[in-house]
Amino acid sequence: MAGILVWVETFNGELRKASREALGAGQKFADHQKVSLDAVVFNAGPAALAELGSMGLRKLFTVSGESFAKYSSEGYCAAVAEAGLKSGADVYLACASSLGRDLTGRLAAKLDAALATDVTEILWDKTPLSVRRPVYSGKLLAQTELLASCKVLSLRPNVFAPAQTRTGAVETVALTLADVKIRAQVQKAVAAAQGVLDVTEAEIIVSGGRGVGGPDGFKVIEGLAHTLNAAVGASRAAVDAGWIPYAHQVGQTGKVVSPVLYIACGISGAIQHFAGMGSSKFIVAVNIDKEAPIMAKADFAIVGDLFKVVPVLQQELAKARAK
Amino acid sequence: MNIAVILKQVPDTEAVVKPDPAKPGAILETDIKFILNTYDEYAVEEAVRIVEKTGGEAVGVCIGPERAEAAIRSALAMGLSRALWVSEPDAVSADVITQAKVLAAAIKTLSPGLVLCGREMIDTQEDAIASAAAQFLDMPQVLNAAKITIDGEKAVVLREVESASLEIEAKLPAVISCGKGLNEPRYPNLMSIKKAKNKEIKKLTLAELGLQAGPAKARIAALEAPAPRAKGVRVEGEVASMVAQGVDWLMKVAKVV
Ligand SMILES: Cc1cc2nc3c(=O)[nH]c(=O)nc-3n(C[C@H](O)[C@H](O)[C@H](O)COP(=O)(O)OP(=O)(O)OC[C@H]3O[C@@H](n4cnc5c(N)ncnc54)[C@H](O)[C@@H]3O)c2cc1C
Ligand SMILES: Nc1ncnc2c1ncn2[C@@H]1O[C@H](COP(=O)(O)O)[C@@H](O)[C@H]1O
Repeated sequence: MAGILVWVETFNGELRKASREALGAGQKFADHQKVSLDAVVFNAGPAALAELGSMGLRKLFTVSGESFAKYSSEGYCAAVAEAGLKSGADVYLACASSLGRDLTGRLAAKLDAALATDVTEILWDKTPLSVRRPVYSGKLLAQTELLASCKVLSLRPNVFAPAQTRTGAVETVALTLADVKIRAQVQKAVAAAQGVLDVTEAEIIVSGGRGVGGPDGFKVIEGLAHTLNAAVGASRAAVDAGWIPYAHQVGQTGKVVSPVLYIACGISGAIQHFAGMGSSKFIVAVNIDKEAPIMAKADFAIVGDLFKVVPVLQQELAKARAK
Repeated sequence: MNIAVILKQVPDTEAVVKPDPAKPGAILETDIKFILNTYDEYAVEEAVRIVEKTGGEAVGVCIGPERAEAAIRSALAMGLSRALWVSEPDAVSADVITQAKVLAAAIKTLSPGLVLCGREMIDTQEDAIASAAAQFLDMPQVLNAAKITIDGEKAVVLREVESASLEIEAKLPAVISCGKGLNEPRYPNLMSIKKAKNKEIKKLTLAELGLQAGPAKARIAALEAPAPRAKGVRVEGEVASMVAQGVDWLMKVAKVV
């Protein structure tokens, strides 16, 4: 192995949490393999640059300018490949965010690399480099060997530990690229409402299913989510009923999440729902039916009516937090 | 406009999948119901609707073993006019980047104005086909489309990312992967299913596509069952007491409060 390059995703100029995790994996990787760790970042603000300056990176490639003001797969891929060439890297790490997934497929094809997406574990001691990633709706884990000399990995958010602060000066290299061909470009971006956490990025998710009974029932879910600083999730049954927008759906046809804590309220725990949240660290379920599949999978199962349990839980948690 | 639609056959989501002890990386196929990849249905539906409006033809492109014919036929029953199929084991067992290269070579023979595929293959949980094929085809791509509007030389696509909804303009020809919410895939009627039986499925070999099998870039060395979750705590009875135990557990075990 020659070197590692991490693509760092920013949002409004700041580092994304999932990118801090990719950088953390990069640090561990570089330590293990005794190779250099470089990163490439687009449109980084001063805070992001300062943060990237204290992670023990060897080189930081920065990209800005009109062609890169907004994400494009072609433009970003060209720049990351260019940074990789200058870095001499043969392992590329990215977070498996929406854009990370968009980028890594193109990058791996361009570099004729081995690709592993949505990786949940790197097997640090194996040769050839091996990773674990969920397959078949999370029912199995694939141990995948990356055999090509160049390797591209995207890492599932919320799984890897974030980068540590380290000393040592980083060499910053501003990349300029001439003539990038960009044929797909973001024209409009409508930001999600302030304070609405995306389920893929949240440490805690409170989810509601058919048991919530209707759009008003989600107020109970939102209440607990608010107290816990959590994102609001939902089962497909709740989304299909029109009680909550699709962006909240967790599962096979929704989003795959790995929070520290997943609280399922009025959700039976169908295999397709479990496909989206089965890798949560802790699962709590509130269900009137003690035989519901989710109850067997939960780390803490409360047999009861969510309308009676959840508001009291919210109250008591608020009290406990205030202490 | 001619449209190429990438197809894959996968196990039904309800299927109980078990590793095949004789074949590392493969699952036991007995008793498994195979279906057209759930998301490919959105791609097929979208392609058929676009062709119904603008003319041209929508053609399936599939890599898969002999059993995959059933999935191809179901896409033909939904309205694709014909399909290309690579069934050589070297292609079927290849890594995702190699498969994208094979698909791109087959797609090139169609000179399509648009390439559609599903957002993710639900068996391997990979969603890189669209980006990788786009690179090999020298086309732009947009993933996980929730809405596609064809506007002359370009496609306007809506998609969601973590903190925003994006409107993306892609110059055609382009590759677009299709997500839930894009449309309601149709259920083919008996007539369409019958007609699909006579539609052309043309097998292509790697040699015919000007490719040859190379060393694997990646391979699944083993499939493993995830570690079972430790048995949890269950509480029943009075709400106040259940909640008290719940708060205690959240603070002491999950340590999130
Ligand atoms: C191809 C495919 C893809 C799918 N993708 C997804 C997906 O991405 N995400 C997803 O979630 N599903 C998905 N599904 C659907 C999945 O199979 C289930 O139908 C769905 O998850 C059920 O949602 P639910 O648990 O909310 O509803 P139900 O299964 O109806 O469960 C409701 C639960 O609420 C409980 N309940 C009722 N009232 C109360 C109350 N007052 N208090 C406490 N508990 C109560 C009930 O006991 C029950 O357990 C998919 C299905 C298919 C075929
Ligand atoms: N972020 C949210 N969290 C919980 N419930 C929501 C959220 N957004 C919408 N809902 C509920 O879903 C219903 C339908 O929302 P919409 O599809 O946006 O009109 C609303 O009446 C709300 O009660």
